[in-house]
Amino acid sequence: MDLALTESQEMLRTAARTFMEREAPVDVVVGLQKAESSLEPGLWRKAAKLGWLGILIPTEYGGSGDRLSDAAVLYEELGRGPLPGPFFSSGVLGALTVLEGATEDQRRRLLPGIASGERVLTVAITEPNASWGPAGITLAPQGKNGGYTLNGTKLFVSDATSATDLVVAVRTGEGTNDVSLLHVDARAPGVTTRRLPGFLSWQCEVSFDNVEVERAALLGEAQRGWAALAKALERAVPLLCAYIVGGCQAVYEKSVVYTQTRVQFGVPIGRFQRVQDHVVRLVNHLDSARWTTWEALWKLDTGRPATASVHMAKAVASEAYLEACNAAHEVHAGMGVLIEYGLAAHTQMSRTLFHFLGDPRWHKRRMADALEW
Amino acid sequence: MDFEVTYTEEQQRFRREVRAWLEANVPASVQRIPLSPEDNYQRYLELRALGRTLGAKGWLYATAPAKYGGGGLDVDHAIILEEEVDRFDLSLPPYYDSGGRLGSASILVWGTEEQRQALLPSIYKGEVRTWQLLTEPGAGSDLAGVRMTTAVRDGDDYVINGQKIFVGSDNGTDRIWMIVNTDPKGKRHENLSWFMIDANLPGITVRPMELMGTGGEGGTDSGVKQTVFFDDVRVPAFALVGGENKGWKVATTHLELEHGGGGRIGRNRVWDRLLRYCQETKRDGVPLSQQQDIRDSLADIYIKTEVQRLFGVRNFWLTYARKPKSYEGPQLSYYRKTTGLWMTGAILEAVGPAALTTDTIWGSAGGFLETQQRNGIVSVHPGGTTDIQRVQMARRIGIGRSTREAAGTVHGGDA
Repeated sequence: MDLALTESQEMLRTAARTFMEREAPVDVVVGLQKAESSLEPGLWRKAAKLGWLGILIPTEYGGSGDRLSDAAVLYEELGRGPLPGPFFSSGVLGALTVLEGATEDQRRRLLPGIASGERVLTVAITEPNASWGPAGITLAPQGKNGGYTLNGTKLFVSDATSATDLVVAVRTGEGTNDVSLLHVDARAPGVTTRRLPGFLSWQCEVSFDNVEVERAALLGEAQRGWAALAKALERAVPLLCAYIVGGCQAVYEKSVVYTQTRVQFGVPIGRFQRVQDHVVRLVNHLDSARWTTWEALWKLDTGRPATASVHMAKAVASEAYLEACNAAHEVHAGMGVLIEYGLAAHTQMSRTLFHFLGDPRWHKRRMADALEW
Repeated sequence: MDFEVTYTEEQQRFRREVRAWLEANVPASVQRIPLSPEDNYQRYLELRALGRTLGAKGWLYATAPAKYGGGGLDVDHAIILEEEVDRFDLSLPPYYDSGGRLGSASILVWGTEEQRQALLPSIYKGEVRTWQLLTEPGAGSDLAGVRMTTAVRDGDDYVINGQKIFVGSDNGTDRIWMIVNTDPKGKRHENLSWFMIDANLPGITVRPMELMGTGGEGGTDSGVKQTVFFDDVRVPAFALVGGENKGWKVATTHLELEHGGGGRIGRNRVWDRLLRYCQETKRDGVPLSQQQDIRDSLADIYIKTEVQRLFGVRNFWLTYARKPKSYEGPQLSYYRKTTGLWMTGAILEAVGPAALTTDTIWGSAGGFLETQQRNGIVSVHPGGTTDIQRVQMARRIGIGRSTREAAGTVHGGDA
């Protein structure tokens, strides 16, 4: 038993934190909030150069093939921003979906570009029904000239406005799991992407209007799409959780400093037990998310059955981020809702990620199924 | 990170040895819920006998230094022991011995060499059971406010007078680990002292308190409590641990461990039984576990027990890897207490009235859930209330006071 980070993980943490402090301090993160695209080219190139976009991609495809727990150290640091950009969408979920679902040829064609950052690949799963299960996938391509024609909408697709490539989950049969994955050029005629306005971060609408794709666009085998996606999601979700843990950690640290420095009634507000209660609630959520996430990562990295742990981690982390931000707002009062202070970016991200890749109730039910109650 | 102990060949052999030994030596009878006070006492005697045989092997206090009669084992072996004993629904020690656990740890850190040699072996070998006496009618959460029970130096002795409440368990004790006031006019935190004394001295009277809890020998928790009166009880000065009026520093060690700083490895015994009950019991023709609302409740309960387990594992590792700790001890305690209290409602809702009866025909899970309905409430206060745990966390986080408070020292007396 050893719950410490390894030496190389500590080094990665230091490098990532230094990068974040230099390249993505609060004003940069706040400045990016209203952009249509989450991708800031300068930041993206630097991150690519550090090898962060290929951290999970095996060396034979141009990545560094690190373990999930190594990548988690990085994602915690990115989550502290919270740094926007398709890091997770392309570098984790995109890469793992290609790795699990694509043929060898397709992997060789797609993965090196993802690792270098030239390709930004996001996976389009959900539709207006907002379901994260296979039954929610209704977009059905029509077969034409040995290829496919797509008409319809994918909704709540993360970072689609910065994507060069899409992997689209489509319905190709009657059975619930009869889903296939299509690789679509995000700039192809008939594809339009639009960031949804409001209190969510870079969740997009992707519309397909008579989009024609070749037969070769089918990723791997027909009808095997959901199985591949499920495997990719099981490995990707804990990294999204790590990003959330980093977010909770940043929100916690902000709150602690604020209670130590904000003086009212002649004393720092941290002296008031009512205020302390918010901080206690916050740190309990933070640690719940941290340890459920890290146990799931450890199980995956060591080949243990991890399905139930992964579902639990996402359920706990989604709730934790939302509650951590709520507690932080109670601590910060007016200061917390000032956009330039930076808490609001977390709050909006916490709401966005609450549902992204499945909300707590959905994951708890999948956890119960996995535990065979 | 590695959440599990990786066992060597030697350690796996040790596990097989422990398992075989426990299967041969743990009487099946100790796993019963006692039916009467006499039966309860009988079971206690069986647990004490088991404690002595475990103690003789060095397995009762596995990580305690061997030179004082402990097991002298490393943490990995201790985990194996805890896990194997847990299979029998027991902990180490297998009976209520909080004064032994916390008193011995405090003596290791703050006692003299002579005291360690004199006081520790009988604890580690299971020859004595020890209650801790902290709370008084006027000093509960505010431990530093202890003043009703006093000790006055008289020649080579101290003379103790006063009253302690919410003490111990059923079935009496051999020794007492207590905090008293030794300078009624002294400054706060500079007027307390700890004593480890014989419980059978003249002038000590024990009277049971009638409480809502049940379970007289429930490991670290005990639902049964006593009032203890001291009437001119004469004890040798040798029994004073840590120095006269130096008791607050000793208390930091005691409280750190009592507040969960030591961590815990083990399953949640209520959860296993609750799930089994819900799988085996049908309502309107459908097992409870297959009804969506109850399934959702079970998921919420399970997740809280898992988070509690992970906090326990983390604290266990922090302690034995000798890593710096801050708010983690009181956090575990707070989480455990609030979860237990919340679970009383969640279980009542899922299981219904069968959670409230110990009836052998109509009760649930052999009376275990009824015990949880009571003890989930009772457990909110012992070892510091939920509010005290939060106050502690805030101080450790560094917001409750002008200077950040450190966690209590729990290491001492190298093996």
